[in-house]
Amino acid sequence: MVQIRQLLVPIALTTLIAAGCTKPPSEKIEAAEQAVKAAQQSGAGTYTAEEYAKLEGTLDALKKEVSEQDGKFALFRDYGKVEQLAASTAAEGQRVRTEVAKKKEEAKAGALQAQQVAQEAVASTLKLVARAPVGKDRAAVEGIKNDAEALKASLNQVQLAIDKEDYPAAQTQAKAINDKSRAVSDEIESALAKIGKGKSSPSRKK
Amino acid sequence: MDINRAKIAGSICVLLVTGCVPAVPPDLIAAIDAIDHDLISIGAPQAAPEEYAYFTRQWVSLKARVQADDDLIRWPWESNEIEKELRRLHSEGGTTVARLNDRQAAQRRTAESTLTRLEARFLSIASHVQSINGRVALGEKPVQTDLLLKQARSFLEQRDYARSIQVAEQASQALRIQTTALIRELGRYADDQQVGHWQAMVKQTVDWSRAHQSTAIVVSKADRELIVYKGGRKVLSYPVRLGFNGIREKRFQGDGATPEGRYRVTEARGAGQTQFYRALVLDYPNAEDRRRFRLAKQSGKIASAKDIGGQIEIHGVENELMAQTLGCVMLANPHMAELFARVSSGTPVTIVGALTGRNSIALALAELAGRTDET
Repeated sequence: MVQIRQLLVPIALTTLIAAGCTKPPSEKIEAAEQAVKAAQQSGAGTYTAEEYAKLEGTLDALKKEVSEQDGKFALFRDYGKVEQLAASTAAEGQRVRTEVAKKKEEAKAGALQAQQVAQEAVASTLKLVARAPVGKDRAAVEGIKNDAEALKASLNQVQLAIDKEDYPAAQTQAKAINDKSRAVSDEIESALAKIGKGKSSPSRKK
Repeated sequence: MDINRAKIAGSICVLLVTGCVPAVPPDLIAAIDAIDHDLISIGAPQAAPEEYAYFTRQWVSLKARVQADDDLIRWPWESNEIEKELRRLHSEGGTTVARLNDRQAAQRRTAESTLTRLEARFLSIASHVQSINGRVALGEKPVQTDLLLKQARSFLEQRDYARSIQVAEQASQALRIQTTALIRELGRYADDQQVGHWQAMVKQTVDWSRAHQSTAIVVSKADRELIVYKGGRKVLSYPVRLGFNGIREKRFQGDGATPEGRYRVTEARGAGQTQFYRALVLDYPNAEDRRRFRLAKQSGKIASAKDIGGQIEIHGVENELMAQTLGCVMLANPHMAELFARVSSGTPVTIVGALTGRNSIALALAELAGRTDET
């Protein structure tokens, strides 16, 4: 009987110590949290909103699981599922970041292309304004000169939006400039056609 | 007896097998998945991130639990917490989809109606500005407003209603600024004191014509009309074209404005002496113009490098298609021929902004001011 008791005591102690040592995988949980934060900072909320929401959902499930296990008696705690969720959150966070980078690049490329088209359209409009004759005939295009200057100035807004990584704004602004620039060019062409492209009068005081 | 026992045992086994049901009905999972897709397709992650995050958090958590309990079966009489929660999520998700659909439809209607109203307002202002020849007075503002409206339209087409409304609000603000600038710039046409001053100038000219039984000319910029007086009586009137910035007060050379003041014809240029069919050269700048110009320069309102300009004429048309001049008063050639025949050197020419307070510019401004709140 004494022998059995001597045998049971160390077993019980070992079990208790082992159970007492069952702790949540803090480093893995932290890594998962960092992965979600990094995804958010990379712009996931804008570029991959649904995937980011799911990522946050997984982190939330992970935290719930941690508190559920923490609430159990030490002997019955099992952080296996926590580890699994932490690993999948970290991996998913990385994947979302890669996806964000890809989508950002696509949006940037789209914005830059639209910017270039707008720049070319404005340059062409300004060229037309410069072609307008001086002197009396100039009056026909004076009224639309301001428009061309305004278009030129508005290209800065596109660049500002690109600098702020607001590519949707940059793209819509560039499209608006391109459309307006073409309309102004048509108007100048029409004015030039009226007054005769080759004809110019000497500059006079007015 | 053995047979009966076997039957009972068999029945129990059948009951056990048929009575067992899966922990979660697969069609329920599929239905919630469908709600998730619906939320994504209506743009909930971007348009309503908090509501979508709330749904997703629960969905991810429940899915994890479903996967963990995948192999479990339960008795029909057993309570099934996961299923209950999934059904609750399904119901809540469905409500969220319906609510977001309604919200999005309302947002789309708001964005569409706001933008349509602003575009109409912009066109109306542009038409007013065109009618009073005030395009140049507004500088770059109309283009800035137009670009904002176009941008808002792009966002609307992309179904980004929130941004469309946001940019439309900027356009609305730009329209208000544009209207205010126009009213400030051309407000003198509606200013009783200024109009009174112009009326006094015209009266002096008409009185002179009466006193000298001679010809005098009055030009009203707002009406774009040239009136010929003889012996103090109005005998003729002609439509005229002005400078490209004609309705403004002339300030310096090249501004495209037509000057206002009391002038005289200094030279009548006949055929072959002008490129504009016939021309009556005015004595702009006169002493009063020089005084005003000097004061404006001294006060810094005009850059020191600017010149006062000159060579302001009443002339015919070199190119019939030209709508504007650089500051002169232009008549159709047949009208110019008639006028030229009646006028000689020394004829007084009075150019004023308007003849009455109810002039076209004042009326246009009043209408614009009255509708400013609409933006």
